[in-house]
Amino acid sequence: MIDDELKVTTRQRDGVWIIDLEGDVTTFAEDAITSAYEKVTAEGAKYVIINSRQSDYINSAGIAILIGVVTEVNRKGQKLAISGLSAHFQKIFRMVGLAQYADIYAGEDEAVEAMHKLVKAA
Amino acid sequence: MSHTQATIEMMFPSELGYEKIARDAIGTLARNMGFDAERVEDLRTALSEACINAIEHGNQRQAHLRIHITCTISRNRLVIVVSDEGLRFHPASRLATASIEQKLAGLASTRGMGLMLIGQLVDECGFLPSRPGQGNHFRLAMYNPPRRSATA
Repeated sequence: MIDDELKVTTRQRDGVWIIDLEGDVTTFAEDAITSAYEKVTAEGAKYVIINSRQSDYINSAGIAILIGVVTEVNRKGQKLAISGLSAHFQKIFRMVGLAQYADIYAGEDEAVEAMHKLVKAA
Repeated sequence: MSHTQATIEMMFPSELGYEKIARDAIGTLARNMGFDAERVEDLRTALSEACINAIEHGNQRQAHLRIHITCTISRNRLVIVVSDEGLRFHPASRLATASIEQKLAGLASTRGMGLMLIGQLVDECGFLPSRPGQGNHFRLAMYNPPRRSATA
């Protein structure tokens, strides 16, 4: 009855693939997020940013989905950053340890800039 | 808001998504009690995780079973008890959470972080004494100003 609306889109910005999340990141987000990640990976993405836009509700089931993405990123040798989280969810991501495996940035521009530094250093 | 003790109760079906209504209601309540914005967010997240546990584990996502929330408000404290109908007993001894390393290595489920998060976000939390068949009753408390301890 209570809809869990999440819109997931992908785009490329200066050589970095961005997965935009708009809406709630909960257990119902698994297919959409995993499909988007698989899509950008099939496109050859080495550098991926998961960009949260207006995601007011991210729960532990949603974080579990992102841990699954981190597992695949590590396996495939990609680099992952997460941007756009509120200060509260940045804190939550640090609490669960996810910040050790994906760099967390307040905004998309900052994340893209950091990824570009990695591209140049590679 | 009056400083005398008051009680607010909520009840909803065991369907994921309803916890968002409880989360919004508790946010409004905590703001009205004077909790700062960060603590309001902490409480909103903690309550939604407690509700998800009750829906998924206690009531096994059977929509006809109810989740019951009781909020007791006093001058400097908000106590919330989230109760389910306890199809599956949730003994307090099962609180260990796998590390992120274990999860990333595929050695543990990527789920199971809710209780750990709640424990870090509120001042007090824990299961109240209960027996199999009597439901699970999980208590959270927040003080204003904060007071941190590990148990209920």
